[in-house]
Amino acid sequence: MKYLIVILFVFLDINMSYSQQDSIFRLDEVVVSDSRLLEFSNGVKLVVITDSTLQRVSGGLTNALRYNSSIYFKENGNGMLSSPSFRGTGASQTAVIWNGINVNSQLNGQTDFNTILPQNYDKISIRSGGGSTQYGTGAIGGSIHLENTLNFVEDWINVLNLGYGSFDTKNFNYKTKYGSDKFAVNIGLGHVSSKNDYKYLGTDRRNENGEFNNNSLDIGVGLFLSSENLIKLQHSAFIGDRNFSGTLTAPSNSKYKDVNSKSLLEWISFKNKKVQRVKAAHLYEEYTYFANKDSDIFSIGKAKTFLLNYDLKYKVNNIVLNGLLDYNNINGEGSSITDVTRNLFASTFLFSHLVSKKFTYGINLRKDWVTDYFSPFVYALSGKYQFTSNYRMTLNTSKNFRIPTFNDLYWETGGNTNLEPETSYQIEIGQVYTKAGIKAELYSFYIANNNLIQWRPSSTSGIWSPSNIKSVYQYGIESSLSFQKKIKNNLIGANVNYAFTKAIDEETGYQLLYVPKHKVTTTVNYTFKKISIALQTLYNSLVYTTTDESQEVDAYFIGNTTLEYEFKDVFKSNVVLALSVNNILNTNYQNVAFRPMPNRNFKLQLNFKF
Amino acid sequence: MRIKHVVLTMAFGAFLASCESDDNESLEPLGAYNNGILVVNEGPFLNGSGTVSFISEDLETNEEAIFNAVNNKDLGNIIQSIGFADDNAYVVANVSNTIEVVNRYTFESEATIDEGLSNPRYFVAVENTGYVTNWGDTSDETDDYIAVINLNTNTVESTIPVELGPERIVANETTIYVAHSGAFGTNNIVSVIDAATQEVATTIEVGERPNSLVFDASNNLWVLASGGSSWPDPENESAGVLSEINTSTNAVITTFNFPGVEHPGFLNIDGDNLYYNLNNELFTISILDDALPTTSLFAHATTSLYGLNISNGKLYISDAVDFSSNGTLHIYDIDTATLENTFTVGLNPNGVYFNE
Repeated sequence: MKYLIVILFVFLDINMSYSQQDSIFRLDEVVVSDSRLLEFSNGVKLVVITDSTLQRVSGGLTNALRYNSSIYFKENGNGMLSSPSFRGTGASQTAVIWNGINVNSQLNGQTDFNTILPQNYDKISIRSGGGSTQYGTGAIGGSIHLENTLNFVEDWINVLNLGYGSFDTKNFNYKTKYGSDKFAVNIGLGHVSSKNDYKYLGTDRRNENGEFNNNSLDIGVGLFLSSENLIKLQHSAFIGDRNFSGTLTAPSNSKYKDVNSKSLLEWISFKNKKVQRVKAAHLYEEYTYFANKDSDIFSIGKAKTFLLNYDLKYKVNNIVLNGLLDYNNINGEGSSITDVTRNLFASTFLFSHLVSKKFTYGINLRKDWVTDYFSPFVYALSGKYQFTSNYRMTLNTSKNFRIPTFNDLYWETGGNTNLEPETSYQIEIGQVYTKAGIKAELYSFYIANNNLIQWRPSSTSGIWSPSNIKSVYQYGIESSLSFQKKIKNNLIGANVNYAFTKAIDEETGYQLLYVPKHKVTTTVNYTFKKISIALQTLYNSLVYTTTDESQEVDAYFIGNTTLEYEFKDVFKSNVVLALSVNNILNTNYQNVAFRPMPNRNFKLQLNFKF
Repeated sequence: MRIKHVVLTMAFGAFLASCESDDNESLEPLGAYNNGILVVNEGPFLNGSGTVSFISEDLETNEEAIFNAVNNKDLGNIIQSIGFADDNAYVVANVSNTIEVVNRYTFESEATIDEGLSNPRYFVAVENTGYVTNWGDTSDETDDYIAVINLNTNTVESTIPVELGPERIVANETTIYVAHSGAFGTNNIVSVIDAATQEVATTIEVGERPNSLVFDASNNLWVLASGGSSWPDPENESAGVLSEINTSTNAVITTFNFPGVEHPGFLNIDGDNLYYNLNNELFTISILDDALPTTSLFAHATTSLYGLNISNGKLYISDAVDFSSNGTLHIYDIDTATLENTFTVGLNPNGVYFNE
């Protein structure tokens, strides 16, 4: 297809591509598993990373988002544990949503962004700001939405990616999509592994014990039982085997294994203006940690979630009403958690009103009832007004929450069963200007976070224990400017994202750990016929590593470049050959203190489409 | 004329030189860090380096990260302790599995011991031999040992296997005593190691989790144990115990049991008076007393007590505050129970030492 025409690394704006027309309405229901994301996110910042960009990402989801969003990642060395800070919030305050379901760990409330291989997803959306009403716990800084789409069209598409790069890094991805008007199936296989033994610049040492090997399998099947009834099955499995690398001062001999499995069965019924869905899902997560990889002594933690969801949606004229009922049964156990079970029941009401072509607003309400803690009533209000054909404003405010995790409540020793959920209030104003290939966006936000859960040692026993003690506030801006122009066979695109983030501890007035005040990403792409070149850069200002701003990790600037050439109709397939040079300036930088990141490195990639 | 000038100059120079050498003898400028307080700052776990702070004896200067300043390199991860022998200090880096050997007065690096250590904790020297407690692999309860270091070559020459969790270590001229707090588990013994044979001569049962030990003037060894932890089994929680050991017979000759589930720590001695901390209060007991005190000397306002030492009537407390920002050193006068000085030190200060 127009593979090369699709701009490298640049986001397409969702606002341009969707509307609430009936045909689209129904199409979204069929194709995606999370149509709510589109329907009830009016007045909320939403950006989408498309399939073609995802195919080009080296490694895990961290790399897909690091260069393409304002999210900061605290990565414990290349390929190691990676946690996000979205708008200056904590690692467990970004929710990861897989086909409409919140899949953050039940044990620690986070998602390790290096345990998701983005290449198998058809699109990944970044929704900024609070989304707890729709997505539950942890959607405070924002949420990341992983989606597999099912296309009910007569077609069979295969994509194969083979890559090899420095530090013996290998990747393999295969994705096949087959469909008819009644049946659709997707299968994706992913693999990435690396010795990851890069040199620490300025020393005679290497990144030791950093090997990783990640594998994933994604399957999606959809079947129309009748024109009004659709059954869908989605499954995703991930197996990761990593050694945890050492630091400049601390050697490591540890090993960590992840096993994740997610299954979702969904029945959708369409009747005129009414859509009903029933979802049943099973999620399984397990980690095994070997402090000494040569020993057979390990610690383990696992959690199983069973989830039932009923979703009823009505569309009356320009109004969409949606009621949801959720039931979750979660069981956790492990070396430090004795078999615990949580039952959760939630009811959600979503309302969206297209008042005129210019004005849309929405109201979302939610209340959870949970067996082991009290959950607050939460809400979200949002609106969008199109002042001129070029300029619109958005406004939203919401209350959100993050529940105490199993570790917080039940960790032996120290777990505190009297914890309450963290709560946040926030407000965001957005402005978007678009004109002939140019788009400028400016979003300003303020978040007040209360009852934050912090682990502290007891002054008498010395035992670390969590309590709801901290209040912080975040404010800042997310801005972007993108530009695209085609002149005959020349296509040029450029994009700049700038984020300013203040994340302040209310008690001390200091910036929170590992939140850069400034983050700038840029991408420039130029395509001429079959040749294309892309340049991406990232600037992070310094981050503090202590709560009194006394120690820091230096700011850094890095750049990557990719040169691509497209061969058409080679053995009936389209072949793209890509050569990437990452960290072209050979910058010596750290993302987490004392963990040097890779020096200049190379990657050769072959992409077949047939 | 010229000769006269030269002779005069020489004579004047010799006079100056003799003045200098006189000064040398009285001041002994052995290095910038002679005479003062060293505070060991453990540093952050994995992602950083520990440091040593120096505060001069007159309390006029406070310099952080002196090893890094002198040697332009990092000291290591989780600095557990410092031991001294002659002119050298042995800085034990627990996670790095290293000991940095420095001149204790200049803090210039002399050697790095990076082999033969596994979770090293504390150092003591007898003659030309260093003894370092090692936990080994913390998931293995049977691999704990004492590393024996030749202080001339700065290499680990042999190991002495010991029971679980060797922690604090002290020695007199002939014998080494090791308190087994139990690492991540629990233990209740003191190992007695003969310096001549480098073997464990005997073990002495004391209270659960012995955390500190000191000699008194008559060479008896006092051992303070925290008592059993409420974790993992709350029923095993027990109070601390103070024991006096006769080092000639290796017999426990006095035992003081704390009431309830009190967990005392940081045993120190100043003359005939023992001092310890209990719930942020300083207590004292004379070695001649026959009962534990019921009232404290005074309470100290410490957020996270992490290190404590006593010298010449002063109490030195290092406070780790929130464990993720710079710590503080508080100096109290014990007689008047007043806080006299506070200094900012490094991250997670876990020990106060006197460089004299």
